[in-house]
Amino acid sequence: MGVAPALAWTIALSGGGAALAHAVERGLRRTMPDVDPGPAAPVQIGVERAPAQTDPWFYSAAPAIALFGVALALVVIPFGGQLVGADLEVGAFYYLVVLDFVSLAIALGGWGANTPDAVEACYRAVAQLVAYVVPLGLAVIGPLMMARTLSTVAIVEAQHRAGLWYVVAQPVGFALYIATGAMQGYRAPFTEPFASQIHGGVLAAYGGAQALVWRVALSALLFTIAAMGAVLFLGGYAGPIGGPIGMGLKTLGVLVLIVLAGRFFRARSTAETLALSWKVLVPVGLLNVGLVGSLILLGVGQSAFR
Amino acid sequence: MEIAPALQIVLFAVFAAISVLGALGMATTMSMFRSGVFLMASFFGVAALFLLLLADLLSLLQVMMYLGGMLVMILFMVLFSSDPGGSMMAGMMTMTRVEKAFSRGLSRPSPMATPHGAGGGMDMAAGHDMSMTTPARKWARHFGWAVAVVLSGALVLRPVARATERALPDPRSPERIGDLLMGKYMIAFEGAGLLILLGIFGAVLLARPSERPDPEDRGHLRAAVDAPPPPPEEG
Repeated sequence: MGVAPALAWTIALSGGGAALAHAVERGLRRTMPDVDPGPAAPVQIGVERAPAQTDPWFYSAAPAIALFGVALALVVIPFGGQLVGADLEVGAFYYLVVLDFVSLAIALGGWGANTPDAVEACYRAVAQLVAYVVPLGLAVIGPLMMARTLSTVAIVEAQHRAGLWYVVAQPVGFALYIATGAMQGYRAPFTEPFASQIHGGVLAAYGGAQALVWRVALSALLFTIAAMGAVLFLGGYAGPIGGPIGMGLKTLGVLVLIVLAGRFFRARSTAETLALSWKVLVPVGLLNVGLVGSLILLGVGQSAFR
Repeated sequence: MEIAPALQIVLFAVFAAISVLGALGMATTMSMFRSGVFLMASFFGVAALFLLLLADLLSLLQVMMYLGGMLVMILFMVLFSSDPGGSMMAGMMTMTRVEKAFSRGLSRPSPMATPHGAGGGMDMAAGHDMSMTTPARKWARHFGWAVAVVLSGALVLRPVARATERALPDPRSPERIGDLLMGKYMIAFEGAGLLILLGIFGAVLLARPSERPDPEDRGHLRAAVDAPPPPPEEG
């Protein structure tokens, strides 16, 4: 793709993905009224908000930075062999890095809004970043090891060539990805930075168009996480139903899984999230890396042409 | 991807300006939080320069390290400073033009601050001396200029050979870096890993509850920590 089509594709994907994720999540939330919606809670688009003592630079930049981070991450997600914004050599690693801009945006927005709830959200979001970043990396390393590449398109091709979705070979890695994906997307049970106790945190400080940008960014964030899960573990655009439609269905499946999984666990505080991350998820992730390494030595997931 | 030479120069100017202005903002703004974010922006500018040199992995590593690292550092900095948002300082200090530019929007009237100069040569706010002028400031400025001149001179005159022009971008750089880390530089790599592991052990040890009883005079502090939080406000 050239630069202009890639730009148009990414913008369309951000908007479409956000709309899809928002609609699906809203429908699913109806069936689980007891669960804190977190970032899926309604935003105040009709109301103009102007907190009294903002840091004006951070306050106004934050929603744009969040959307920017999500859109950057969507660039490397392939919906077809050619239907990808840019097939980078280091695509999967790039994805992990640029999606952290959402955490930065929540921290900046929370501090910049300078209301008690928003500053609390700033602290919680940074703590959650520390909690998810290591186990998420460990979950993503599994497919990278098996595919022997960092390029997202090549990961899909490797699964296709080997005739094996990595969810079959690495169920532990997939479960780890779902758990850390919920942390990364601030979805239940890890909704603490957007909890209703602090009135939605950062979201309560924004209104009007800026609140709409937050809405799009946070919904597109969930869509992006689900799409990357489909690429890494479910064979991406290759498979029985190929192309963008198959990829869309797989993304939808992972999205529904992340949202529905939240109803089976009670909400975790930030401290509990950190404890879970370091005491359970990181050791499980390290074990999974060892397990995947052994499977690769046994020839699982490797095509004959390597 | 090929970038036209003219565009390369423009991009270099933009990213270099981000790094330099970020560093300047870090040193001159009155808000500790802004200071940390400016430092982050400066490092991101450098990361973009790496990207311009086609070192994509290095650039991403730079962003990854400093995004999370700086955010955590800022939070700890905020915990231990009395005016992290800078509103008190910006509201009462006499600032230079650069300091004013990077502190724009921070100032708000503070009931605790006294007007500049009223404290008998000290800038007082809420009982703290907030003066930014130290005896070292005068010669530190000259020293800073001297360093800048030497570094710019070295850059312009370039006493070392331009080795980078001969190096071609390597599409398999992640693999090569991995080989180097696990081959040639394995001792250093594993040594750093061991050091970090020991650091984690130290942190865990420090965070464990102490087995010794608290001294008498700390009893009320312990009670304050253990007290249940007040119920959240309704509304």
